[in-house]
Amino acid sequence: MAQAHAGKPSDRTAEIFELKSATLSLLALVLKSTDLAALRGALQAKLGGTPDVFNQDALLVDLTQLPQGPAVALDDAAAAPAQLSLDDALLAQQLDLPALLELLREYRMQPIAVTGADAALLAQAQALGLADAPDLAPAPRSEPRVETIEVVREVVKEVFVEQVREVPVGAEAPRTMIIDKPLRSGQQVYARGADLVVMALVNHGAEVIADGNIHVYAPLRGKAIAGARGNTEARIFATSLEAELIAIAGIYRTTENPLPAEVLGKPAQVRLDGEKLVMEALKL
Amino acid sequence: MTKIVVVTSGKGGVGKTTTSASFATGLAMRGHKTCVIDFDVGLRNLDLIMGVERRVVYDLINVINDEIKLNQALIKDKQLDKLYILAASQTRDKDALTQEGVARVLDELKEMEFDFIVCDSPAGIETGALMAMHFADEALVVTNPEVSSVRDSDRILGMLNSKTKRAIEGGEPVKEHLLITRYNPNRVEGGQMLSLEDIHEILRTPLIGVIPESESVLQASNQGTPAIYMQGTDVSEAYKDVVRRFLGEERPMRFIEAVKPNIFKRLFGSK
Repeated sequence: MAQAHAGKPSDRTAEIFELKSATLSLLALVLKSTDLAALRGALQAKLGGTPDVFNQDALLVDLTQLPQGPAVALDDAAAAPAQLSLDDALLAQQLDLPALLELLREYRMQPIAVTGADAALLAQAQALGLADAPDLAPAPRSEPRVETIEVVREVVKEVFVEQVREVPVGAEAPRTMIIDKPLRSGQQVYARGADLVVMALVNHGAEVIADGNIHVYAPLRGKAIAGARGNTEARIFATSLEAELIAIAGIYRTTENPLPAEVLGKPAQVRLDGEKLVMEALKL
Repeated sequence: MTKIVVVTSGKGGVGKTTTSASFATGLAMRGHKTCVIDFDVGLRNLDLIMGVERRVVYDLINVINDEIKLNQALIKDKQLDKLYILAASQTRDKDALTQEGVARVLDELKEMEFDFIVCDSPAGIETGALMAMHFADEALVVTNPEVSSVRDSDRILGMLNSKTKRAIEGGEPVKEHLLITRYNPNRVEGGQMLSLEDIHEILRTPLIGVIPESESVLQASNQGTPAIYMQGTDVSEAYKDVVRRFLGEERPMRFIEAVKPNIFKRLFGSK
C-alpha cells in the first residue's frame, strides 16, 4: 500500500477525490444574548409543540448581534446569576460555545459555521469543528432572517401532520423532489430547499409545498405553496390549474376569489410580480 | 395465501356494512373460505345484517384481550359452510383495538387457512378505521355519488397509501378498488348526483362495480339477510358482479343505463 502511494502519488490523488465548488443553503441563528437558559426557554416556547421541526438542518451561528463589551456581559450575569459567575463573565461575554452547540443539536439543528466571532471565540469554534464564515452576504440582517425562520416553522409544523419527504443533501444532488403517486385530501409534501415536481393529481385538501418552484403535471386542485422560505422568484406550474389556494413567498390567493377563466382548468403558471400574483395560461 | 380486504369509506352510511356482508357472502358462495370481521366496535351492525345477532356470545375484543379462543368467537354461517363472522363488541369502544391484538387475530385466521378476510371498517379516520385497514392487501372503497362522500373517499385513499402496513414498510401498495353504491342513473341524468365520469375524474381509482340505489337493500337488512341473497334484484346481481370481478373475471358494468357503455369502458376498462 505504502509503496503504491509512494509510486504514483499524483495519479492516485486524482482518482480518489475531486474538489468541486458547492453551495449550501442554510438557516442562520442570529444570537442576541449569551444567556443560554433564556435561549433554551425561547426555543422551547417557539418549538415546544414540535420539537422535530428541524431535521439536522445545517445552521450558521451568527454572533454579529451579540451585546459587546464587559459591561453588557456583567448585565447579563446579573440577569442570570445562576448561569454566570463573575469569574465567567470575561469569557461569558463570548458565551459558552460548547454548551450552545449542544443545545442547538438537542433541537436537531446542525451548526456548521460561525460568523461574527472574535479571535478567541473563533479559535474555540474552529477547535469544535465549525467553519468560519467571515463575510456573510451583507444581506438581510435581523428582521428578514427572523422572518425566514418563522415561515419555516409554520410550514413544517403542518407538514409533520401527515408526511414529509426530503431530498438528501448531497453536494451534487439535484435539488428537486419528484412525487409519482397522487396526493389526496389530507396529504402534504414539502420539498425543503428544493423544487417539487408532482406527476399525479393533487386533490382538494392536499398540500404541496416547496422552497423552490412547484410543477404539477396533472390537475392541481389542492393548495400549492411555492417559495415557502421567502423566495419571491419561485413559480407554480400546473397542466390544469384548479388550486384552492396558491401562495408564493407568503402572498396567497384562495378560490374565494375564483381563478380567472383564462387559466382555470388550463395549463398555467403563477408567479409573483412585486406584491401581486400573476396567473398566465401557458402557450403549449 | 390469505388475502385481507378492507371495506372502507371515510363517510358513514354509504353502505360499508351492506357491502361487507354481501361481498363476504358472495366470496363464500363461490367456494372460498371467508371470514368477515366487524371493526365497528361499540356500534356493531354486521351481525344484524348477517342475521346472526342472536348467536353472538363472544366478539373480536374478547379475542384481542385473550379472554377466549378465536374458535369460540367465530360464528359459522348457517347457509354457507365456508363463511364465518366475527362480531364487534357493543360494550367497548375503539380504543380496545390494539395493533398487536388485531395482528394476532389475523395471523390465527391465516393459520386456519382462510382464503379471504373481509374487514368491515367503521366510518371516520380514527383508530377503528386505521386498525381495519392496517393489514389490508386490498381495499374496497365505498362511495356514494355525492361530493362529500367522494371527498372522504379521497382522504381514505390517501391513508391507504400512507398509513397501512404495506405503505409504512414500503412494500407493494394496497390494491384499491372503487365501489359506487346507491347509484341512480336517472338522478345522475337530472344533475342531482355525480356521474361515474365525475367521480372518476376526482378519484382516478379503478372501478370494481356500481350498486344501484334500491329499496331491496333496506328490505334485506331489516330481514337480516345479506342483499346478495335477494334473488332477481339489481342489487344482488350487481354484488355478484363485484365478486366475480374481484376474483378476476371480466364483467360488463350493469345498471348504469344513463351512461353510454363505450364511454364508460374507455374510462374504466383498462387497468
